[in-house]
Amino acid sequence: GAKAFTVSAGKHAKFRCYVTGKPKPEIIWQKDGEPLTPGRRHLVYEDREGYFILKVLYCKPQDQGLYVCTASNTAGQTLSAVQLQVKEHRLRF
Amino acid sequence: EIPGAPGAPLDVQCLDANKDYVIVSWKQPAVDGGNPIIGYFIDRCEVGTTHWTQCNESPVKFARFPVTGLIEGRSYIFRVRAVNKAGVSLPSRVSEPVAALDPSDRARLRSHPSAPWTGQIIVTEEEPAEGVVPGPPTDLRVIEATKNYVVLSWKPPGQRGHEGIMYFVEKCVAGTEDWQRVNTEIPVKSPRFAVFDLAEGKSYCFRVRCCNSAGIGEPSEATEATVVDDKLDVPKAPGR
Repeated sequence: GAKAFTVSAGKHAKFRCYVTGKPKPEIIWQKDGEPLTPGRRHLVYEDREGYFILKVLYCKPQDQGLYVCTASNTAGQTLSAVQLQVKEHRLRF
Repeated sequence: EIPGAPGAPLDVQCLDANKDYVIVSWKQPAVDGGNPIIGYFIDRCEVGTTHWTQCNESPVKFARFPVTGLIEGRSYIFRVRAVNKAGVSLPSRVSEPVAALDPSDRARLRSHPSAPWTGQIIVTEEEPAEGVVPGPPTDLRVIEATKNYVVLSWKPPGQRGHEGIMYFVEKCVAGTEDWQRVNTEIPVKSPRFAVFDLAEGKSYCFRVRCCNSAGIGEPSEATEATVVDDKLDVPKAPGR
């Protein structure tokens, strides 16, 4: 299975993936098979070192799932995947 | 062909191709039909389609025009029509196709293709308060100025915020402090911008701010005042 990472509820989860290929591949981020579109809680960008970044802001339990980064160009397609777990805060007595 | 209308413009070329704009130039027609040429219409067509779109609403006077609103990575051909009081000419022969790509991307595409490879995705947790507002961009310059438009270029700030940076361009009539944002709707992702709709005879300063999800940064230093009129280094119609 895919490697699993855990973040705390309410924090940001930053997914960082290095991609190579010529011509420069197109990147699609997906969660549980559904494409993720950039929005208020989902940032998608390329950082200064050339990594492709997906940032999920203020993680909720429903953000748990399988995240896939698919890269494709005229020469082919490949993907990497990780499992995200969101740890909820426990009340302490 | 309309009697008294000009001949078709000649030698349509793409001078400067980027992902945001392509500067198209041409030569004036050999015949003006007996009436002076009022201006030109520029049309574009995405390669692989047959749909021509007129790029400018009213005729432009100078034999040079930056075409914006292109889709990055797509290829386009251009043609130009001349106008005088009798009517509009037949279109010129079309330009060579040009891709809306930055020069560096174009060079990369020319080299051999290789299949993509993706590394292991690494997930890290970040504190929500971590967002850093980017600093001001540097080296803001007016790289082209005519009475119809001004092209600005700048460098990204040294100290960046974490997220992908976008830019807001602001203009101000020289001598006032009344700064107005130029691109209120379209975010600028690359460090270049063509400003249209400047009033002829007025003098403008420009400045640029960076923004990311954390907020909008401080403005760059303003440019020197740029006068919008014919006296600037207006590109001459080639062949004149």
